[in-house]
Amino acid sequence: MPHEILQHIANGLVLGSTYALIAIGLTIIFGVLNVINLAHGEIYMIGSFITFYLVSKTGVNYFASLLLAIVLVGLIGFLLERIVFRPVRESPLLITLLASIGVSIFLQSLALLVLGPELRRIPTQFGETVVHFWNIALTVQRILIFGISVILIGLLYLLFRRTTIGKAIRATAQDRIGAALAGIPIDRIYGITFALASGLAAGAGSLMGALYFIDPFMGFMPAIKAFIVVILGGMGSVGGAILGGVVLGMAEVLGAAYISSEYKDAIAFVMLILVLILKPTGFMGMEEEER
Amino acid sequence: MKGNYWKLGKWVLLLFILVAFPYLAGDDFFIHLAIVIEIWVVLVLSLNLIVGYTGQVSFCHAAFYGIGAYTSALLTLRMGFSFWSALPLGAISAGFLALLIGLPSFRVRGAYFSIITMAFGELVQIIFHNWRGLTNGPDGLPGIPPPPTIPLPILSNFVFSEKTAFYYLSLIAALATVLILRRLVQSRVGRAFVAIREDEGYARSIGIDPMSYKLLSFVIGAMFAGMAGCLYAHYFLYISPASFTIFQSFDILLMVIIGGMGSILGPIFGAIFLTSMPEYLHLANEYRMVIYGLLLVVVIILAPQGLVGAAQSIRTGLFAGREKRGA
Repeated sequence: MPHEILQHIANGLVLGSTYALIAIGLTIIFGVLNVINLAHGEIYMIGSFITFYLVSKTGVNYFASLLLAIVLVGLIGFLLERIVFRPVRESPLLITLLASIGVSIFLQSLALLVLGPELRRIPTQFGETVVHFWNIALTVQRILIFGISVILIGLLYLLFRRTTIGKAIRATAQDRIGAALAGIPIDRIYGITFALASGLAAGAGSLMGALYFIDPFMGFMPAIKAFIVVILGGMGSVGGAILGGVVLGMAEVLGAAYISSEYKDAIAFVMLILVLILKPTGFMGMEEEER
Repeated sequence: MKGNYWKLGKWVLLLFILVAFPYLAGDDFFIHLAIVIEIWVVLVLSLNLIVGYTGQVSFCHAAFYGIGAYTSALLTLRMGFSFWSALPLGAISAGFLALLIGLPSFRVRGAYFSIITMAFGELVQIIFHNWRGLTNGPDGLPGIPPPPTIPLPILSNFVFSEKTAFYYLSLIAALATVLILRRLVQSRVGRAFVAIREDEGYARSIGIDPMSYKLLSFVIGAMFAGMAGCLYAHYFLYISPASFTIFQSFDILLMVIIGGMGSILGPIFGAIFLTSMPEYLHLANEYRMVIYGLLLVVVIILAPQGLVGAAQSIRTGLFAGREKRGA
């Protein structure tokens, strides 16, 4: 029994780390641009398809592909901000939300048209080898998912704390007008924020695409769950997104094991409703400010 | 005075065309298309109340549509209810669920609501799929009875398994939706909805309680969607979870926005346009959604008031220009 629990906790951490990776992107886009980007799941999907094609068609090494996917998707995110979200920046949240829905539908159906609906998996050799420690058995791929997620989150932390760009992003998130007055080019900061968030989602997609099947609709559920994570953790809070991701990942794995695997996906929704009733600002959210 | 007669004449003509349509169309396919459009009209106008007038983006309209459809299908199939009593019960159950989901999600503002509706829509899908004892899972419910025949003394009987009779039934539903919702948005309550959409803080400061008005709008919208679901179930006589997914919610939202949210005419135009256009162009479903996604982004960026709104402002712009030149 206890070793079983350890196994579930390990699996929950693996799942939770990818939720955190996706949710951080959402939460920084919200924090900096005040945009709810519903196309984030499709960004994740594109990331995993880029890695899939690089690995299976050109034979590029998995890690190099993952890095390339992060860069390429970051570029897509940058362009997306410029083309779609910049023109509607001064509009209310409602309008930007609807614009992102349009992007989401467009990218998803374009992927369906171009790539087809069949299920694929990123071919790696890490899925077969199993590592045993403390009565836990994990495939190398799962360990990679956790490890690379932690590295990416760590890099983001360093970027935010130690670099000028990071400081500029944090300043813009705190006070856009103040940041602009201090000479921060907020247009460029918006683009960079979108690129960073998209890159993280692409990283998550490339990691998960080697564990589960990928198809054009794969982004939908993780995106909804990442939104729930963002609400659990508190809108705009990176720490909250990490904590929320781990909590949701744990809850899902333990719920599937001890409650019901059919209703595994429902756990996230029940948690969402509970949080909204008990603490609507999330674990780490501040009191909602008037907008 | 003359203007009034002209206006009245236009409505009488429109009503005449709508009533005579099954005989003008001649083809069963066009009547079928008209019935589908009438059901969509109920859906788009009810979502428009929530999104266009109250400013709350909901992604679970298809869930209410589905709740209505499943409620009336199960009541008629398993418990021997007649269509006429199942119809209001389907609408009420959808409204009740809207109340349950609105209570926690309206506690926080704006975006949270949208995301919780998305999650709720998925939750309803999961239940439709997994509660096999009740919903028969992904296989759906076949053999739903059509509304019972109404015997008429002089004319031929209203047999609802025939398309023409169902056309009139859904026409009445669509017209009732138009009239009731038009009346509602022009009332004091409707102006409170718009005030919340425009500026929630301001609305509160003049004594409008945003929470209860948002709930009211959400519940009324959901009830109409539930009614549309009943019509759907008793027209197609078969329902399955696949008809009530988030993609249907997106479809309804697309019609509302591309047509023009916050007006009555816009969403109706959107429903007619987006339902009939793929039929005329013989568009495959994949292409359809690519185009719609792009159209949504373009409309939001260039004409947030929708195609009808854009057309109206172009027209008034032209007339204004002519007057200026004339003077």
